Amino acid sequence: MTDISHPGTAGRGIDRSRAIYWGVAALTTILVFGPITPIIFQAFLDKPLYDNTAVLTLGNFGRLFSEPGMAGIFFNTLYFGALTMVVAQVFGAVMAVLVGRTNLPGRKWLGEIFIWPLFVSNLVIAFGWFTMYGPSGFMTLAAKTYLGGAPWNLYTVTGMGIVAGLSQAPLTYLMCLAAVTKADPLLEDAARSTGAGPFRALFSVTIPMIRPAIIYSAVLNFVVGIEMLAIPLLFGGPSGIQTVTTFLYNAGINAAVRPEYGIVGAAAVILLVVVAFLVWLQGFLMKGAGRFVTVRGKASRPSTLDLGAWRWPAFLFVFAFAFLTIISIFGGIFMRSAVSFLTPLIPFWKVLTTANFEQVLGSATYVRSIVNSVLVATIGAAIGTFFILVIALVARRSDFKHSRALEYIALFPRALPGIIAGLGFFYAVIWLPGADVIRGTIAVLILAFMIRYIPVGFGAIAPALAQVGEELDRGARISGADWWTTMTRIIVPILKPALFSCYALLFIHFFKEYVTAAFLYQPGSEIIGTTMLQLVAQGDNGPVSALATIQVVITAAFVLLARRVMGARIYG
Amino acid sequence: MADLVLQNLTIKYGAVTAVDNLNIHVASGEFLTLLGPSGCGKSTSLFAVAGLNHATSGTISVGDRVLFDGNPNNTVPPEKRNIGLVFQSYALWPHKTVAENLAFPLTLRKIGRAERDERIKEALGLVEMLPYADRYPFELSGGQQQRVALARALVYRPPLLLLDEPLSNLDAKLRERARVWLRELQERLNVTTIYVTHDQAEALAVSDRIAVMSMGRMRQLGTPREIYERPADSFVADFIGSSNFFDGTMVESGTDSARIRLADGGEIVTPPGPTGKDGSVVVAIRPEKIELTGSTGPNTMRVSIEQRTYLGSVWQYAVRSGPIEFRIQTPSELKEDSILVRIPQEHCAVFPDKPGAN
Repeated sequence: MTDISHPGTAGRGIDRSRAIYWGVAALTTILVFGPITPIIFQAFLDKPLYDNTAVLTLGNFGRLFSEPGMAGIFFNTLYFGALTMVVAQVFGAVMAVLVGRTNLPGRKWLGEIFIWPLFVSNLVIAFGWFTMYGPSGFMTLAAKTYLGGAPWNLYTVTGMGIVAGLSQAPLTYLMCLAAVTKADPLLEDAARSTGAGPFRALFSVTIPMIRPAIIYSAVLNFVVGIEMLAIPLLFGGPSGIQTVTTFLYNAGINAAVRPEYGIVGAAAVILLVVVAFLVWLQGFLMKGAGRFVTVRGKASRPSTLDLGAWRWPAFLFVFAFAFLTIISIFGGIFMRSAVSFLTPLIPFWKVLTTANFEQVLGSATYVRSIVNSVLVATIGAAIGTFFILVIALVARRSDFKHSRALEYIALFPRALPGIIAGLGFFYAVIWLPGADVIRGTIAVLILAFMIRYIPVGFGAIAPALAQVGEELDRGARISGADWWTTMTRIIVPILKPALFSCYALLFIHFFKEYVTAAFLYQPGSEIIGTTMLQLVAQGDNGPVSALATIQVVITAAFVLLARRVMGARIYG
Repeated sequence: MADLVLQNLTIKYGAVTAVDNLNIHVASGEFLTLLGPSGCGKSTSLFAVAGLNHATSGTISVGDRVLFDGNPNNTVPPEKRNIGLVFQSYALWPHKTVAENLAFPLTLRKIGRAERDERIKEALGLVEMLPYADRYPFELSGGQQQRVALARALVYRPPLLLLDEPLSNLDAKLRERARVWLRELQERLNVTTIYVTHDQAEALAVSDRIAVMSMGRMRQLGTPREIYERPADSFVADFIGSSNFFDGTMVESGTDSARIRLADGGEIVTPPGPTGKDGSVVVAIRPEKIELTGSTGPNTMRVSIEQRTYLGSVWQYAVRSGPIEFRIQTPSELKEDSILVRIPQEHCAVFPDKPGAN
């Protein structure tokens, strides 16, 4: 045989692959630190960022702490976050074990219902709670009428914390479910063979093994709690209860009338530091998790535990949870959107109306916010998927010497609360020369959402990438393909299912996002979330529920389509 | 075709030296095997030749082309080395058919469609896989996948073929047939081949020469016969086939022979060899080379049979003479409890220390 020599020989210089490594690394760094840098600057400047006479100072922190009520705000935030975490963990973990490992009647469809809340924003959920359990909510009135009193009050920090906890339980449920169903049944069988009864085996072997999932989701829910805007805004607003997020939101929104740049910057930096610490803590606590790894290559069916006589009481408990915290919430939103006035005291059909939808569809602004939401989600998720894919390939599959650093930077937005990402981008587009062109467009929304959800997409792609053997890359390299050709021709086609999942997850997150957009939208670039936020503030509950219904319907249609047509894996 | 020359090749990972100063000249068309236990650096060396891991120092050249000389600016990336490589796991791309797997390297070399199809056909014909061109890898058996992997490595006619334990995922029978077939194919194509394996029988069967490696160092380089019959040290004697090791002390060392006193007090005559610092030596002798004998004489020993093991083709006995324990093999069963054996001088080798001591 004759030799087909390759033209050209050595040369490390700047080839195509290296240009991509550096390009992606630079872009990621700029996009992640772009919004954080101005916030940090602002926290230490005595005048607005754009004022050239501003000088460095520590005064903002002093002013922040001397501000009356500030201690209360920080206390509220921590208490709210902690309560959210505890409630979510208790209910989520119990539901996961009952649905995942017992012969609970209806466990299949109950399991499906438990993940619904993950698809919609907590603004929608909060509004649903308000509609059903608020002071004049449907359930509240029903309880007062038929039971003689409603013992709950959502307009306290404790009430808010319980609501937030119940609405975050599905996240814990999802993570623990994966852990209980993937636990190797052989380990339980081993416990049985040494003399443990079935319940004993479950409690002594399997439950301890979901500890990493519980710890991980606990920290996650604590973070979600302290950076949550919707519930404190809806329930705390009327009774004057503030958390750090509502403080930032109100101060930021009112910045035009009452310039408080320094204090806002200082509060944002404190929130950022706390969240960054928690995310670090999460990683730290997970360090020893290796000894809990029970997932082996072989797929096995977990055995189910027979609850015996407790089957139906357990069913009642689980169903009550699903009905009261999920079904009734969604039901309340749908019902509210179809009536002029929602109350258990007047028969439903007497107040039926299409006025809410007419009002939404008749307003150019509201229609535009729906169109913008769809555009941001459709286009943004596509751009995001591509960007995250390239990051993952460079971070995990290249000989780029800073690949680990790139991954750290790309995953940093886990520690970036939405309200801070929004505020940061708001500053950055003013501050960075040339960035002004995208101010107030949906482009800046897409960019901000993309940064915020890099970790979500990365989480969908990286495990799939780890499944693809390194020899496939090596085989392509030795066959004559450079790094980029290897990635595009060999690795990316194999990753296709994971890319669909990444796209679907990003679509859902972009579509439901509202916090990050709160500071960034302008007339013309509204999205459903920001419009709802505005309407809620005005007390226009009819159009809010119609918009929420539209958002839920579009999401449901997308999830169905993504699962059926693209075969995307979204939450199990 | 081309020579492959490795000079002073050293590969370090942090403080660990995976390959230490390797020097091999592989002649054009030669079939050379890197043989050693896992972790000896054989695959590391192979992948350094492919450019898939980074050597630390030394040079690698194929023909007149330097692939690596320690200067990062001169290092040729793997895709420009034009080397064929077959992986242990085959690494067939699962989303491409057999023909598409073979087409990929040709497309990268901008070979026109007609010629490409011709070459794919030729390569698949060589490995007798032509009927499977449109199958996907998961539809093939392990042996078929291995053939396709080989065809993919040969389709662009590289001057150098690297094989990383290509037969280790096949079952024993198939492995024996595949190695004969592989060697025939290599001879037909006359492609310079480096073969990595930990299976000594395989290495002996296919190689022109074998480089035995241990702990990053090459212990011996020679033909299969040299390696088996004249091992350079006790590691090689132990790793290739199996050997008995007798502790002893050198009594007298001449030019053609040496006299060694064994632990049981007896003396045997062996070829000369190096001794340890205190004059101690070990004598290596393969179990199947020890003969039964009817009469006493030089190098004979009376031993008692302690344990009998039936191995199918042979019987193996653990025998003892005083403090010395060793194994012998016979084609037929021995009924006696005590026998007389002869240690042939010409099959003995003398080393300064036991395997693992250095």
